[in-house]
Amino acid sequence: MSRNFIVFQGGTLVIYGEKAAKQNLPPPFRLIKERFRCEGYRYCHVQPILESQGIRDQVPRWEPLDLALYDPREPHAYQLEALDAWESLSCRGSVVLPTGAGKTFLAIQAIHRAKCSTAIVCPTIDILHQWYRRAIHSFHTEIGVYYGAEKRVLPITITTYHSAGDLFAEYGNTFKCIILDEVHHAPAPSWGEAIIMAPAPMRLGLTATYPTEQEQMVAGRWRVDDLIGGPLLYCKQIEDLLGEQLARYRTQRIRVVLTEEERRAYETDYAMYIHFVRERQLIKRHGADWFKELMRLSATDCQARQALLARQRIGRLLAGCQGKMEVLETLLQEHVTDQVLVFTESNALVYRVSQQYLIPAITHETSADERKDILDGFQTKKYRAIVTSRVLNEGIDVPEAKVAIVLGGTSGAREYIQRLGRVLRKAENKEALLYEILVRGTTEEGKVQRRHARREVEVSC
Amino acid sequence: MLTADLIRPRLQWEGKTLSVKMVDKQDASALHTAQDLLTLLQSMAGQPLAAFQSSLEQYEGDRIDYLLIRGLAKILLDAATFTPLSTPLPPKELRAKLFATGPVFSSPDLFHLQTRQNALQLVAEEVGMGIDQIDLTFFADRPVTYLLTDPGPAWTPAEVLARYNLELARGVLYWASHVRIDVFDSYKDIWKFIKLFKLMFWAEELRGGGYRIDLDGPISPFVKSSIRYGRQFAAFLPAVLLCEQWRMIAQVHPPQAPGTMTYQMNETCSLHTHFKKSGEFDSALERNFAQEFEEKFGGQRSHWILKRETTVLLLGETVMVPDFVLVDKDDENRQIIIELVGFWHPEYLKRKVAKVRAAQCQNLLLLVYQGLKLTPDAFRETVSEVIFFQQKPVIKEVMGAVEALAERLYGPRQPHKGQKASSSST
Repeated sequence: MSRNFIVFQGGTLVIYGEKAAKQNLPPPFRLIKERFRCEGYRYCHVQPILESQGIRDQVPRWEPLDLALYDPREPHAYQLEALDAWESLSCRGSVVLPTGAGKTFLAIQAIHRAKCSTAIVCPTIDILHQWYRRAIHSFHTEIGVYYGAEKRVLPITITTYHSAGDLFAEYGNTFKCIILDEVHHAPAPSWGEAIIMAPAPMRLGLTATYPTEQEQMVAGRWRVDDLIGGPLLYCKQIEDLLGEQLARYRTQRIRVVLTEEERRAYETDYAMYIHFVRERQLIKRHGADWFKELMRLSATDCQARQALLARQRIGRLLAGCQGKMEVLETLLQEHVTDQVLVFTESNALVYRVSQQYLIPAITHETSADERKDILDGFQTKKYRAIVTSRVLNEGIDVPEAKVAIVLGGTSGAREYIQRLGRVLRKAENKEALLYEILVRGTTEEGKVQRRHARREVEVSC
Repeated sequence: MLTADLIRPRLQWEGKTLSVKMVDKQDASALHTAQDLLTLLQSMAGQPLAAFQSSLEQYEGDRIDYLLIRGLAKILLDAATFTPLSTPLPPKELRAKLFATGPVFSSPDLFHLQTRQNALQLVAEEVGMGIDQIDLTFFADRPVTYLLTDPGPAWTPAEVLARYNLELARGVLYWASHVRIDVFDSYKDIWKFIKLFKLMFWAEELRGGGYRIDLDGPISPFVKSSIRYGRQFAAFLPAVLLCEQWRMIAQVHPPQAPGTMTYQMNETCSLHTHFKKSGEFDSALERNFAQEFEEKFGGQRSHWILKRETTVLLLGETVMVPDFVLVDKDDENRQIIIELVGFWHPEYLKRKVAKVRAAQCQNLLLLVYQGLKLTPDAFRETVSEVIFFQQKPVIKEVMGAVEALAERLYGPRQPHKGQKASSSST
């Protein structure tokens, strides 16, 4: 009689064989649809059961991977400590380091030590592209990416939490190691669901903000410790590293005015929009959800629809108004010897700026290889500037940029500035410089005023 | 399929019962809108997608039925073809050359002696293109610059609305965690599409005929209510509409609704599928067999009725839908299942034989084409009857085996009174 065997199936482990359903197996196995099954991430926990029951393990399809490391930098002492801690606990656990302290570098070192096929899961496509570039530079080998627009699976593959479920459902058992970037995001219901589908016995979580015990207990969310299969191993806070790793930066705010024509259009639209919001008391009645309510109303109420359209027109007008464009041109001319990053929130504007000044554009449409070429070109100073549209809340890594120009005003832009400031690194004892361009006497200024106090604290670090 | 934002605002519920606000296919204003959009798309032949998008925005204006407009437009766009402009140089390469000269400005200054115009001129000469062509090629690989080369099928406005309603119903299932269908016909098609959309199923026979099929995915039993397979359910839905008689109940978790909702439908809904029903016969072999049966044993010529694909053999994770079932007119319990194993790929045959083994089905009669080199050995562990044939099965021989098998399984026939006289009634 042939032995029973366990296989990987769509993110689950299933036992097959002639007597598979008659053998009584303990949890986490459950008898479902006539077979014993469990989630992929139980793989390392069910090993003793498989052994004692003589079940043949046909799950792993992962490969050993012996890659040379082409990153000449030596790990910092704290990075080595973190790696050792990870290895000492069967390579399952999380590491907390502040933004800019080299989490990606740490992960690359971990992959090098693990010597096996690895999937990296990160929160956004922009961050995915950054990992892609770093991995190629570090290993000098083809790297797979798996997300909406590109799907190529290789021994090292980078994906997003959003696409990880599809990747793991089909290829989960080809990765022995998984690295979860910004692991504090993983507990979200649909994201955690993707992570439990991977049988990888080696798991590394990375974050700057590990959830507290209380935060881990929230109903309906997963626990980071469970998803990683190990505890918080190592933790360094921003205060521990200041001065050692992180750059200083300062912001300079520039206020521009609208042209007469723009001002007239703005006032008309603003009046229409604010009148509706006040008249219906949207903010008072719906609090933080007031904008959702406006969206909802706009499908049934003509005035709401007009107010929403007015708001959209204001957004477009402010994003690309003449004054901003003039300042942008002046700043680009002024910083002729610097590496400059231009940030706008509208895609259309990115392409306009790109075509007008002949500077490379990065948006969500840009493919992984072109992004890499652009960022490489920026690093070697072949390209002097990059214009991009994405609100990158986490992990943008452009150490070469000395000047950032943010044509902003929205809360997304504000957050972006704060994050960006932390990652611009010291070079040649020069401070990074951030320009924030706002339109005087418009909604953009109002938002800044409200955030002013909190912002200054952030900036002074 | 529509995007979730075009579905969500049209969801409505009463208690725990979910529905989606469909459009009345006779509604004059909706028909008008559909016609306008068809005309708009037709008029855009050769134009870039961006031009269509901005005309659409203009058309939309401040109308509050923008969900309908965008939904209909999405359906038309999905069926249309946009093709990138063919350029003398890949846009990416051209950009790389141009970006190497930037930033440039319209007039020279101390640091920038080269103006934008100079830069374009130099690159244009280098690659042998005109300056106008450079501007057109710059981002010619962005989808919004693709040109409309085929506006898709010649829909009528009513057809567009009908399709819109189907897409709305599909969209509800984006948030479904579990779908249960009861079907009473078209089994082969149903299981073909379940497989195609990689859904997991659990089926059981319903008392009184038909099958109940529960659909979800591998991880579903382990999480509270995964909507991971929602898009697969949505893709699958038109397959259910291939059935004459059916009902569906889905557990749905729309983001804005309080808790789990149920979404129900059956054959009385007014939706139409765009999936093709498979032909009556899969092969000439089957068609010939059925014809020959009708000629020699059909009607009053025997006590057997030949039915097409009316039985499903449930084999756990897979099913087998045999080609024919012979049912005794006088006693419906006397059934002989017939499966033709004709000219097929070896891999297919391997699976087929494995299925026959798993089925352990005593009233299954296999008609196997000898040329396949399938020896009786291959069927050693099955309990089914096997007849080998050279060119085509000899119907007399088959019916002889059917009678013998029926007698062995069910005992001698006890014919109805009066029916025996059929041959002498002339």
